[in-house]
Amino acid sequence: MVQDEVLTVRGLRKRYRGRRGVQANDGIDLDVRAGQVVGLLGHNGAGKTTLVNQVVGLVLPDEGTIVLDGIDAVARPGQARARTSIQAQANVPITGLTPRLAIELVGRLRGGERSAVRARAGELIEALDLSPWADTRAEKVSGGIARLTAFAMTVVQPGRLVVLDEPTNDVDPVRRRLLWQQIRRLADEGAGVLLVTHNVREAERVVDRLAILDHGVVLAADTPAGLTASRQGTLTVELDLLPGATVTWPDGVLARGSSRMREAASVPAEDAAEVVRWAQRQVQQGAIERYSLVPASLEDVYVDLVEAERHDAPAEEVAA
Amino acid sequence: MTAVRQTLLLAQWQFRRQSTFLPLLVVVQVFIAVATVVGYGLLVGDPPPEVALYLATGAPTITLITVGLVMTPQLLAQSKTEGSLDWMRTLPVPRGLFLASDLLVWTVLALPGMVLGVLVGAARFDIELSIAPWLVPATLLVSMTAAAVGYALASVLPPPLANLVTQMLVFVVLLFSPVSYPAERMPTWLQQVHEWAPIEPMAQLVRAGLAQDAFSISGRSLLVLVVWCLVATGAAALALRRRV
Ligand SMILES: Nc1ncnc2c1ncn2[C@@H]1O[C@H](COP(=O)(O)OP(=O)(O)OP(=O)(O)O)[C@@H](O)[C@H]1O
Ligand SMILES: [Mg+2]
Repeated sequence: MVQDEVLTVRGLRKRYRGRRGVQANDGIDLDVRAGQVVGLLGHNGAGKTTLVNQVVGLVLPDEGTIVLDGIDAVARPGQARARTSIQAQANVPITGLTPRLAIELVGRLRGGERSAVRARAGELIEALDLSPWADTRAEKVSGGIARLTAFAMTVVQPGRLVVLDEPTNDVDPVRRRLLWQQIRRLADEGAGVLLVTHNVREAERVVDRLAILDHGVVLAADTPAGLTASRQGTLTVELDLLPGATVTWPDGVLARGSSRMREAASVPAEDAAEVVRWAQRQVQQGAIERYSLVPASLEDVYVDLVEAERHDAPAEEVAA
Repeated sequence: MTAVRQTLLLAQWQFRRQSTFLPLLVVVQVFIAVATVVGYGLLVGDPPPEVALYLATGAPTITLITVGLVMTPQLLAQSKTEGSLDWMRTLPVPRGLFLASDLLVWTVLALPGMVLGVLVGAARFDIELSIAPWLVPATLLVSMTAAAVGYALASVLPPPLANLVTQMLVFVVLLFSPVSYPAERMPTWLQQVHEWAPIEPMAQLVRAGLAQDAFSISGRSLLVLVVWCLVATGAAALALRRRV
């Protein structure tokens, strides 16, 4: 299995210089194997894009190693790029071209043979439901379609490693599903996929592993099941309040946050039936509009982890 | 082989991305070339034959230089601001090829204006050209050097500054360079500056190529030009390879 390693990052550090220097990556270890989708989660500014840019050789690490398909990506960025395809966080400007043309040209630039690239481009356009826009001038195409086009440009001739920096942004729910299918397929066909996303709920069902990044450090890396294990046996109750109403949670329920007209809490699974009865009474009394009970999600785990880190290390902000 | 293929594909990408503006761009080039000839003609009145020949053989250089020194950096600056450059840099394409494809695009675009400038000049001033067999490679060298200098400028400077500097350069090229008039008319210090700058050698080379009976270029000028070409290309390639 060792030779299946497509990306191995060890001890990666990067500090952006300047008046207020930023330690964007502070000792990152990360692995992506062939056939795996590895999700990378983390708050805005956690250092995800910085990590990705070092992998493709746009940013030079201060310390640490990046081995990409057996190549030292820090010393040989050119060879590393030949093995990687990346969808950047910012959209690629393709004004003057049509989505289909852009996808085909990039496929050929990556070394694809003309007819094979044409066939694959057609297939992707079909699979992502881009056909109505495929031959429209890019300046008349909507943001989500542009995003999907950028995805197709990345995977038309995929490298051993495919890096996707927030591919689902701007994309509608129906096409998002199609997109997730394509991402899964890439890995199933043998690529290693590194996926940066804020869409925890949807990513959960597609990724094999997840790494959670916080202020340039990996807080946790595991399978989705492994990450949620600590919260097994707990469920999340969510309430939609009616205007003006307030609720007092019954005993044994742990309030987990509220926003305008919404409340959430976690409940041990064995108390769930009781809480449902309680919630039903609240509905009848006109305090809440509706409620739902869901298994503890990865999103909860993620929020927990990040919050725990905040409380543990309040001095961090000062140091930065 | 792959390098050639990739260069052509990149050039195709750039060409198509600019496709809406290309016709206009060519029209503007032609306009500049013709305007230089006709405009200077107005400035100097009815010039004697030597002056006329000087003017008509200087105009094409002005076209080549403005394309290279102004259009190239402006488009590179634009692609920096809109983020295309960063994206292109993630492609598995050797860095030098970006430069090569851009130079190819700009050289091709500069040609119509240049040719028309020559024809209009010859007709307006009724002069005899004597074309040297090496005119085409010479033109390519001039065009490449201009584009490489422009590219290097835009690679090194932040976009707004690059735009300003190139606009200033056009002014220098049009008025304060020995392209459309002989160097002797300039103050000595400026003449000395031009001995080391690439503009005068460019003008001399094109002039000698168009009217080899009347003009020639010294070995020293040619050397200055080649050095500029190499240094600018190297600087641009380095800037493309740089990792922050
Ligand atoms: N070129 C740069 N120069 C200086 N600082 C930078 C640069 N790029 C990013 N940073 C800083 O480095 C940190 C990490 O940024 P990065 O873009 O990697 O975050 P991210 O995890 O991708 O965030 P997001 O989810 O918002 O995309 C941030 O504090 C950011 O301000
Ligand atoms: Mg980012």
